[in-house]
Order: sequence, then C-alpha cells, then structure tokens
Amino acid sequence: MRLNDREDELMIAYQKGDNEALEGIYTLLKPPLYSFVFRYSRDEHLSIDIVQDTFVKLQRHKHDYNPEKGKLKSYLFQIAYRLLITKLNRRKRWKKLLPFLTPVQNDGLHLSDRITIREAIAKLPDTQRAVVLLYYYHELSQDEVAQILAIPKGTVKSRLHVAIKRLREELEGNEYDSGVF
Amino acid sequence: MTQESFKEDHHLSAKLEEYHVDIPDFPMKPSRWARFIRFMASPAKDPLEPFISSENGVMMLKFVPIMGVAAITLTHIFIH
Repeated sequence: MRLNDREDELMIAYQKGDNEALEGIYTLLKPPLYSFVFRYSRDEHLSIDIVQDTFVKLQRHKHDYNPEKGKLKSYLFQIAYRLLITKLNRRKRWKKLLPFLTPVQNDGLHLSDRITIREAIAKLPDTQRAVVLLYYYHELSQDEVAQILAIPKGTVKSRLHVAIKRLREELEGNEYDSGVF
Repeated sequence: MTQESFKEDHHLSAKLEEYHVDIPDFPMKPSRWARFIRFMASPAKDPLEPFISSENGVMMLKFVPIMGVAAITLTHIFIH
C-alpha cells in the first residue's frame, strides 16, 4: 500500500465530513492545478474558471475518489484536464460561429528568455504539451500521466520523446538565430 | 525515460525552469457574475479590422451607410 500525501489525508477527512479539510486541499492543490492549466492554455481567466470548476466537481462527487486507486493530485488533474479540453473545444466551435466574440489571448511577459520557452511549449501539439507539462513541471510518473490523459503508458513515452526533441530543436534554433552559439 | 534523465539535459532543463507562473488570488467558489464581467471585459477581435487596415476598406465603410440610406429611400419612393 502506498504512502498517503497530505492532500490525500485531507481528502479522506473531507469524505468523512470535515468540511474544513477542503480548504486545506484547495490551498495545497490550487497552485499546481492553476500552473498546469495556465501553461497549457496561456489564458488567465480560463485557468481560474477551470480550477474553480474542478473544485466544484470534487465537492459534488467527493465520494467518487478512491485513495486506493491513486493520488488526489492525479485525480484532480484528470478532472481539470477533461474540463479544459471540453471548454477549449466549445471555444473553438464558438470561434467558428462568432469570431469577433472570442477573447484574444494576451501574453504579459517581457523577458525574452521566458517568451522563448513559453513559445516553444505553446508550439507543441496539444497532446505533447500536456505530457511535458504534467511530467516535467508536476513531477508525475508516466503511469499517472497516462491515467490523467486516458492514454497508454507507451503513448506517454513516445509523446515525451518527440516533445523533448522538438523543444530542443526549437530552443537551439532560436539561440542560433539570436547569436548565442 | 525517468524524470532524472529528463533533467540531465541541463540546457533544456534550465530553459524549462525559467517558465514561472504567478498564481493569482481567487476564491474556490466560482461567481457567475464575476465570470460575466470577465467575459465582457476581455479584449475581443475587432470585426471591422480587415476593413480598417486597407484604404479601400475604409472607403467602403464610409459609403456602405450612404448606399444603404439611398437604397431604403428609393425603395420607399417606389412603394408610394
């Protein structure tokens, strides 16, 4: 049996009726969830909506979580990722119907290095981007990433391999262009 | 591939580390009103932008209302 994280223990307490434990879960998992959604979508408002909706869903289905099946962190990332994909698909449909009502993305960074890595990640295909973000920034195992994205572990490995190769090419290309090498 | 082997690529790892995200302060409970305000306040694409960017487009924007008014006037004249 695996060791429970702090948030898993809080979730068990919440399932037993301790409503204050939910605040603790929110404090612990809001930052990673928001970071993941923001790095994926680069949309602050969308990221806030997704994090809030994830916690609404957690509250509505609090007894669906089974600590034996995995960490709460993976469970919430799974909910957030599904909500995000649904929302982005809906947004794409609206964009086709009413292009002028679709919010324009606003990137607020000024440091050139950050823009470079942001852009390199943004240029990755959606599926590869999700794998890199979950695996690198949130230190989830390949099994956990596979579970969150509902794909086989082999697919996680291959997407990671291709994504890292693309990132290297993108960043090195950029540095050659800017005269670093 | 393990996370350690991923981080062995120091250059890529250093670049990825540069991507920081500032977490804004927001409550757990969503507010429909706040979302509506955010939606209304978010910048949207200007539907007239393709017209404004070219000289012909600007001219067309100026003449379309005049042509429209003329067409409506003529329609009224012929009806009566």
